[in-house]
Amino acid sequence: MSMEDYDYLFKIVLIGNAGVGKTCLVRRFTQGLFPPGQGATIGVDFMIKTVEIRGEKVKLQIWDTAGQERFRSITQSYYRSANALILTYDITCEDSFRCLPEWLREIEQYANNQVVTILVGNKIDLAEKREVLRQKAEDFAESQSMLYLETSAKESDNVEKLFLDLACELIREAKQNKLDNTDSAPMPGEGKAISYLSCCSLN
Amino acid sequence: MADSGGTAAVRRCDSGSVSSIGMDTISALTELEDLERVYQQLCDGEKEVEAKLDRLVAQEGNIHTKMLALQRMGPNLQLIGGDASQLSGMITFTCSLAENVSRKVRQLDLAKTRLYNVIQRTDDILDLKFCTDGVQTALHNEDYEQAAAHIHRYLSLDQSVIELSRQGEESSAVDASLVLLQEAEQKLKVIVAEKLDEAVAAVDLAQVERFFKIFPLLGLHQQGLARFGQYLCSQLASKAEENLILATGGDLGEKRAQLIFADTLTLLLEGIARVVETHQPIVETYYGLDPIWTHSMMKSVPGEIIEPRELDPVLSEVTLMNARAELYLRFLRRRIMADFEVGDIQKHQQNMEKLLKHCLLSTNMQELIGYYIPMEEYYMRESVNKAVAMDTYEKGQLTSSMVDDCFYIVKKCISRALSSSSIDCLCAMINHANSVLESDFREVLYNKLRQGFPATTLQDIQRNVSSAVILMQSSLQQGKFNTLGIESTENAKAAFLVTLNNVEVCSENITTLKRNLENDCSKLFSQTGGSGDQAKIESCLSDLVNTSTKFKDLLQEGLTELNTTAIKPQVKPWISSFLAISHNIEEEEFNDYEANDPWVQQLIINLEQLMTEFKMALSPVIYDTLTSLMTSLVSIEMEKTVLKCSFSRLGGLQFDKELRSLVAYLTTVTTWTIRDKFARLTQMATILNLERVTEILDYWGSNSGPLTWRLTPAEVRQVLALRIDFRSEDIKRLRL
Ligand SMILES: Nc1nc2c(ncn2[C@@H]2O[C@H](COP(=O)(O)OP(=O)(O)O)[C@@H](O)[C@H]2O)c(=O)[nH]1
Ligand SMILES: [Mg+2]
Repeated sequence: MSMEDYDYLFKIVLIGNAGVGKTCLVRRFTQGLFPPGQGATIGVDFMIKTVEIRGEKVKLQIWDTAGQERFRSITQSYYRSANALILTYDITCEDSFRCLPEWLREIEQYANNQVVTILVGNKIDLAEKREVLRQKAEDFAESQSMLYLETSAKESDNVEKLFLDLACELIREAKQNKLDNTDSAPMPGEGKAISYLSCCSLN
Repeated sequence: MADSGGTAAVRRCDSGSVSSIGMDTISALTELEDLERVYQQLCDGEKEVEAKLDRLVAQEGNIHTKMLALQRMGPNLQLIGGDASQLSGMITFTCSLAENVSRKVRQLDLAKTRLYNVIQRTDDILDLKFCTDGVQTALHNEDYEQAAAHIHRYLSLDQSVIELSRQGEESSAVDASLVLLQEAEQKLKVIVAEKLDEAVAAVDLAQVERFFKIFPLLGLHQQGLARFGQYLCSQLASKAEENLILATGGDLGEKRAQLIFADTLTLLLEGIARVVETHQPIVETYYGLDPIWTHSMMKSVPGEIIEPRELDPVLSEVTLMNARAELYLRFLRRRIMADFEVGDIQKHQQNMEKLLKHCLLSTNMQELIGYYIPMEEYYMRESVNKAVAMDTYEKGQLTSSMVDDCFYIVKKCISRALSSSSIDCLCAMINHANSVLESDFREVLYNKLRQGFPATTLQDIQRNVSSAVILMQSSLQQGKFNTLGIESTENAKAAFLVTLNNVEVCSENITTLKRNLENDCSKLFSQTGGSGDQAKIESCLSDLVNTSTKFKDLLQEGLTELNTTAIKPQVKPWISSFLAISHNIEEEEFNDYEANDPWVQQLIINLEQLMTEFKMALSPVIYDTLTSLMTSLVSIEMEKTVLKCSFSRLGGLQFDKELRSLVAYLTTVTTWTIRDKFARLTQMATILNLERVTEILDYWGSNSGPLTWRLTPAEVRQVLALRIDFRSEDIKRLRL
């Protein structure tokens, strides 16, 4: 671990209905392209991108999951170790928005309670087909204490911002955690080896 | 070039405007200044014109010579003109000649083509007649192959030629033939279809194949393939049904009974593969096969099972089924790839991957794996819980049964997931295993450690009455209640120490598990090879490293707790008893101490006794760490104590001897270096051993040689002051 060249390592998992554009968001961010006609994701896909934020190297492990029901048990196994979840829906598809509470239940059940969740409304390039009002989505996100952002993987709108904002937030929380841990420090063993990734359910 | 020409033109224009200053303008001028300016302009203009004239005149000679050369060329040009017109005449002639020849050739060609057409038509008409007769005979003789061959010949005749023939003189004869042939064609199609159906019904493979081959001759490729496909499907289906009935109705006492469904699936897939192999050209039609069996399989997966052990066979079966399906898909992939031209492999490969990944077999398998994972997770969690509940510890063993059991279960589940050949399935189970180990199992160990290492007065009894027999006797005399008390204390102690060992073994086992899985996976990848898949697995496996570290941290916590509750309270009084031994001594007492050691030997015996218990009960690695903690404690306490004493010259020597004995003993009990920990104390002893205050300077500053002082100058003075025979003025006066 220490040989590798980064200051922070975060796991980000994308979830949401099939077809809302999770794979496109990941490919846009990691490869800078909008893939034409790739099939639906099978199981999970895994990509890595290292970004620099205020002089610190941040390695992002991005897990792109399949939205279909039959892959649910595979994707669920990734929630627990995720530092952040990107819950995605399609602004041109009311249905994908209506499913959000179901996804939130999954998060509640499987993710660790320190996980950072951001709600993303994708495909804003299709403004004329919009079915979910921005205000409605914002209100919903706020009621669930999630961040909210609208993106277009196609036009590359807000995609970079999505991941970089998330990385910033994660760094902020990691630093906060570290502070908290050195503050209370009752566990002599944990103290020195504590990592920002520590999301164990103990103590 | 064009540019400079442009500017030149502009300039010329300018000078023109200057020279065009007319008389009127000039006569209108009244100011001397203006006049002078215009005069100057005119003068400049004149100069320019003169220069131009000069240049032109200079070119005259040049132009003259050129003119002469041109005049000399005149006669030659006339000659060439004549030759050229002659040549042109010749070319025109040749051209018309060629035109004539080619027209004749074209006519010849046309004649030849017509001739060929005539021959072809005659042939076709003859063929038609031949076919008409042949078909009749063949049909009559039930020689369907022959009849089909005739029809095939007829169908490959040029339809326009036939059309033309019908307009010719023999139209009626041709028409009759055609009608006959078409009738025969229809009849043959019906017969062949019927015969094929009959053969299918009779399960007569030879006949099926015979009529299957006739279909393409009649232009019925699709229909033939479809019928044949149906036949093979129904064959496989009935075979599968048979096997399934055998499977469900079979005697479950048999050894393979638990794998019967996987076996059935294997039989089926092997059957399909064999068919594909023998009937290579129709591979593609077999994609639609799978619903038959997956459907029946799904029904066989039990819904509500509480007892994890009963899940075992189902889990093994499902993974085996997936592995077989993967094998089958790999087989198809290889077969299909072999058919592609080298050039379009890439394009085809993408399409094929898409097709295979989204085909019914794959999606059904994905669904099955989707059911498998939570079942396997349940199995793993429940089995680990059971192992914890049934935890037993045998005297003399370092660890208790649950650690081995737990890792056996985790390994088994991951291996099973691995055996499914599905990377996503394997990754999911690694994630779950990590979760079970890091949360569930670690929590169990954590809670055991949190109960602490019991510190009771019984410990002191044990110290003082160092025979176990006496201890037992005394506790028996104290009655049953206390015996239980002793027992439970002893149990609690053992439980704590065993848990420490357990934690350490867990950390080791997780590391080993990760390494072994890496090896297994690399073997798997040498077959399938997917760099993306490999990255996925590596990432999931690397989480195991974090978990192993968490166990190491837990071990450290436990050891600190042990040191605080079991070692510190014992060691501290032993060390402070040093205060009771005077080190302000003279020759006589020094010799007395020599004969009857006043302190250090007892300390060593006490330490030895204290640690023996741990040495027996802890793994070597943990024991070593614990001794290290103990030696640190000893050195710190010693330092504190020594600073509270006063020393004579011989007292210093006595302390030096005692310290040497202690360090020598501690060196034997641990692999850690002791000297470093005792460096400060050793230096204190050196100071307490000096003859005079100033002697310190022989060891200080530039004289220190290889010695690195761990004591500050202030501490050196403090230690010097412990010597009752050293005067404080001398110490103050020292320049350190
Ligand atoms: N117009 C538009 N189409 C998008 C956008 N993102 C994804 N898509 C399309 O939506 C479909 C599903 O995208 P995909 O990334 O596979 O969705 P996933 O199932 O969530 O991974 C594809 O046809 C994409 O081309 C976007 O930002 N704008
Ligand atoms: Mg996708």
